[in-house]
Amino acid sequence: MLIFTLRRLSLFVFTMLLLTLLSFSLCFLFPGDAVINISGAINATPEQLIQLNESYQTSRNIFFQYLAYLTHIMDGNLGLSMASQSVIGHEILNLLPATIELSIVALLIAMFVGIPLGFVAAIKHNKPADNIILSVSMLGYSIPVFWLGLLAILTFSISLGWFPSAGQISLLFEIELITGIQFIDILLSDSPYKWQAFSDATAHIILPACVIAVAPATIFIRLARTSMIEVLETSYIRAASAKGLTFQQIIFRHAIRNALIKIIRHVGLQFANLVTIAMVTEVIFSWPGIGRWLIVSIDQRDYTAIQSGLLVLSCFIFVVHILTDFIYAALNPLARGVKYGS
Amino acid sequence: MNYLSAFICAFFTLLVVSGCNNEDKLSLSQRSVIYCAEGSPETFNPQLVTSGTTIDATSNQLYDRLIAYRGAENELVPSLAKSWHVTRDGKKITFYLRKNVTFHQTDYFTPSRLLNADDVLFSFNRILDEKHPFHLVSGGHYPFFQNIEFKSLIDKIEKINDYTIRFHLTRTDNTFLANLAADFSVILSAEYAQQLTKISAQQNIDTMPIGTGPFKLKEYRVGSLIRFYRHDAYWQAPAQMEQLVFDITSSNTGRLTKLLAKECDVSSYPIAHEKIIEHNDLILESITALNVGYFAFNTTKAPFDNVLVRQAIAYAINKEVLLDTIYQGHAELANSILPNSSWAHDTKIKAQEFNLLKAQNLLTQAGYPGGFSMDLWAMPVQRPYNPNAINMAKLLQADLKKINVKVNIVSYEWNTFLHRLSLGEHQTFLLGWSADHPDPDNFFTPMLSCSASYTGSNRTFWCNKHYDDLIHKALKTNNINKRKQYYSQAMAIISAEVPLIPIAHSKRYQARNKDIIGDIIAPFGGISFYQVSKLTISEEKVLPLNNDESDERSTEAVN
Amino acid sequence: MARDKIYLEEIFPSPFMQLWLIFRRTPVAMVGFSCFIFLIILAIFGPLLAPHSAIEGQLNMPLLPPAWHDDGNVSYLLGTDELGRDMLSRLMYGTSLTFGLSFIVVIISLVIGVLIGSLSALTSGIKASFLNHFLDVILSIPSLLLAIIIVAILGPGISNTVWAVVMVLIPQFVHITRYAVKEEFRKDYVLASRLDGAGPFRILSYSILPNIVDRIMSQATLAQSAAILDIATLGFLGLGAQIPLPEWGATLANGLDLFYIAPWTVYLPGLAILFAVVATNLVGEGIRHALKVRKER
Repeated sequence: MLIFTLRRLSLFVFTMLLLTLLSFSLCFLFPGDAVINISGAINATPEQLIQLNESYQTSRNIFFQYLAYLTHIMDGNLGLSMASQSVIGHEILNLLPATIELSIVALLIAMFVGIPLGFVAAIKHNKPADNIILSVSMLGYSIPVFWLGLLAILTFSISLGWFPSAGQISLLFEIELITGIQFIDILLSDSPYKWQAFSDATAHIILPACVIAVAPATIFIRLARTSMIEVLETSYIRAASAKGLTFQQIIFRHAIRNALIKIIRHVGLQFANLVTIAMVTEVIFSWPGIGRWLIVSIDQRDYTAIQSGLLVLSCFIFVVHILTDFIYAALNPLARGVKYGS
Repeated sequence: MNYLSAFICAFFTLLVVSGCNNEDKLSLSQRSVIYCAEGSPETFNPQLVTSGTTIDATSNQLYDRLIAYRGAENELVPSLAKSWHVTRDGKKITFYLRKNVTFHQTDYFTPSRLLNADDVLFSFNRILDEKHPFHLVSGGHYPFFQNIEFKSLIDKIEKINDYTIRFHLTRTDNTFLANLAADFSVILSAEYAQQLTKISAQQNIDTMPIGTGPFKLKEYRVGSLIRFYRHDAYWQAPAQMEQLVFDITSSNTGRLTKLLAKECDVSSYPIAHEKIIEHNDLILESITALNVGYFAFNTTKAPFDNVLVRQAIAYAINKEVLLDTIYQGHAELANSILPNSSWAHDTKIKAQEFNLLKAQNLLTQAGYPGGFSMDLWAMPVQRPYNPNAINMAKLLQADLKKINVKVNIVSYEWNTFLHRLSLGEHQTFLLGWSADHPDPDNFFTPMLSCSASYTGSNRTFWCNKHYDDLIHKALKTNNINKRKQYYSQAMAIISAEVPLIPIAHSKRYQARNKDIIGDIIAPFGGISFYQVSKLTISEEKVLPLNNDESDERSTEAVN
Repeated sequence: MARDKIYLEEIFPSPFMQLWLIFRRTPVAMVGFSCFIFLIILAIFGPLLAPHSAIEGQLNMPLLPPAWHDDGNVSYLLGTDELGRDMLSRLMYGTSLTFGLSFIVVIISLVIGVLIGSLSALTSGIKASFLNHFLDVILSIPSLLLAIIIVAILGPGISNTVWAVVMVLIPQFVHITRYAVKEEFRKDYVLASRLDGAGPFRILSYSILPNIVDRIMSQATLAQSAAILDIATLGFLGLGAQIPLPEWGATLANGLDLFYIAPWTVYLPGLAILFAVVATNLVGEGIRHALKVRKER
């Protein structure tokens, strides 16, 4: 486990280096002055500019500039938004939790729908149920998510009126931002309408989370199906059935556990995919998350925001990756020995 | 797995339990109104802006003026000043203030005194006196006041006693009272300014506002919402609604979706009017607003510094088609900048007709027989004067292609768009003007005068001495016929010089839920939620009185 | 058999032909394949076949519903948008933008990716390890996010979108080629030709590439469906094709404002995207199925 941890840590450091380097080089790639791109101070007075140049060490060579950039990031200083002149660090702190919240709920939905369906498909291998599940899943990952979102709003919000169409919570409820994760904030708040707010927030999250969950769920279906088929063909399952265990016992006691372990490994990768889908979905459901913010920033050519937003988002995705690797390794001792990169 | 399923069970039980207890939520939504606004305000102080979005969010909600407009005749009525007096030469105007006006009490400020002359002095001196400690806070630009040349107009403001204040003017200006009643001339709190100076947070005066208006600011999340609470100690009867929320939704479809899904009670600038009319529980209202939508040139940039090029383009534009497709027939064709309902309107002034041959000839005369390529900036949001500038730009693109002018359409986020326009980065642009008060001067001065070209509200940067003389003369005379003549001449100059091509005078639209009662939009200026109430609570007692009044008014207002 | 054979000769079809023979037998895959061919033809000839201009509209007939609707007009089969542009023509032009461009994108990135991948398979040591790490980092970022990043750097526009998607797809091809080549290198027939004295490049081009072409094809279909979705999504977000290009995603975004009065301007481009992706995925499924069957034999 120690070697495994060290290996992951080295990978983590390597990646962080790569990501910060990339985001650092962005300020030169974007049009305009690098210092202004990096700090976002478009209205800076000459004195302020001198000060900025000093703090980013622009007079020295590129290596020191990079170091200066790193120190700024370490201090949590991501600059000012060029469009609104607000502090980007704060904005991201407010927005990222909303995205995380939405992604986690979507991931849970995708897992709780996708994995059992995949298992069913595997157990009914080559039967109509299998074919139906497979065809539906193919439709699921072929459908453009923004279109699906629009159809969902039209059906469930407008025609049926079951769920709200936009936002995190009805604006009537006044919930103070503490953690940024709405459900926790509601529980922490002292609003007299706590429980109404809670159910309202739940109603708001269901539609976007389901739309996001569709594509990952189809992937989970396929993963679960393949891994279950593999497990069912192993000798220990045959041994178990030879011992006279009923089919149900075999599935629930043995097969599911072993099949699940293989799937967990992919959860991390799927999470990255899911966050990307969430970015698009946020635009449609006006979810106050980092994805919508980033896309608006790209539209406004707010270079400082783009640069910092990308850095934070990709770091976040990578951290999730490493975490799932750890969970997988903790659950499955066999994985710890596997060499990296093969 | 077991833990998870237990958690989920608990979660759903919770939902069911919480779902049962609906009473409080109902009452909460009955006591609040949600307005889907089309954009974020730039600031919370109307003195600093001209943009309608900001005015909508601030002026009538947070502040009051010394005097106000009322009724279909747009007569001036007392507001914070209970009466006023103008000397015969029109140069001394005395206001007598009310003695019962309280400022907002919020998390960040508790007033210790009522409104008095110091507050009025502070509010206007901030604009007038360049050495005033608050003059340069937030940039020191007061576009409305710079446009009307407020500084040279006012000799001094004199405090007679705590509740009496006198304005000394340097010249007669018959729009002075109208300007003081406009949405920009709000009264701030001098005591709050003092408190901010003590903690050296002067900039808060414009971002965390304190006013005397019917609502006070509770919370602002940039780009997402503004929350107002009722100002309970308002000097008139307090507003009906306890909470007012501006849900900032810049997407047109987003606003309509929220309206249809009942997530907002009132929506600004709705699209798809047919769809709204189809719904029985929604009301589409319109009001003949004083505005003009136009296509304008940056007259300092080639080739648009050449009047022949500007005329050529004016001839090449098919306004009828624009009116049919973009305004869908809900607007009048604009011959000049002044709407037909204004008293100074002159039917003799005609704009260039659609004539490609003339356009081509003029272009050849100007030295561009083969055409040229240009940038056209189209505003990204729906405004009353232009429901869809991007589509209008596409149509203009097709029109101008016929005279070999290649058009590139450019658009930015609304605030960025305005900012860049004021810097003069553009070649041509689509924009418009909504009047702040019914006086025709409010079209001529802020849109095209030289002084406005310095402040950035005249984005054509066109400056014509003769035109400026005419509109100055019009301000000095009290003779309506003479004024009318001056304005006719000014419009003739615009038609000949074509700094901009007026396209349409449009109605302002708004959609609301059926159970929302009371006037919100007005023919000019910003919206107001003071009169608004919800049908469900007030059925027994509060409503009847108000209902009659508002009904009467809306029939007058809706045309 | 029309011709008598003098010698009894057993014909071994090439791996690719074998695959095709199996592929042909799955009807669903063949349906997908014919749709795919149809789309390619449309992408090439669509602009010639389109009944109207995609960019200039008939201003006197805005928002005409599709022909089967009561108010429809037969000469505008799928209706018109707010500027009177024929939806059918826009979709046909859009085929060459969304589908055609994504096809070209896949070809470009396939060529570059296979080249890099097979060369890198021949390397080992620190270079290989660096490449591995690098690929893993890149592959862990979802393709759409990466495309958004690249468009953010290059600025919005259709040509930048194309380059972004190419760059996003290359690592996937590098990865699969590298993996496949390494696997083949371990096989006996490669050893045999190596013993014959063939150099690594000769082995690569004559022995290995024909054997992995099917796997690359399967990856190409995955890449194609991802490319269609990415180009359309970027177009929808306003980062890809700019007005007035009739790219499907951009057309859909343009229809958003008309969603409630002219829903066909939103339904049709969405259906077009769905159709193209499903066709591509059916072909991909067919190839993967055939690969599996061949392996099991």
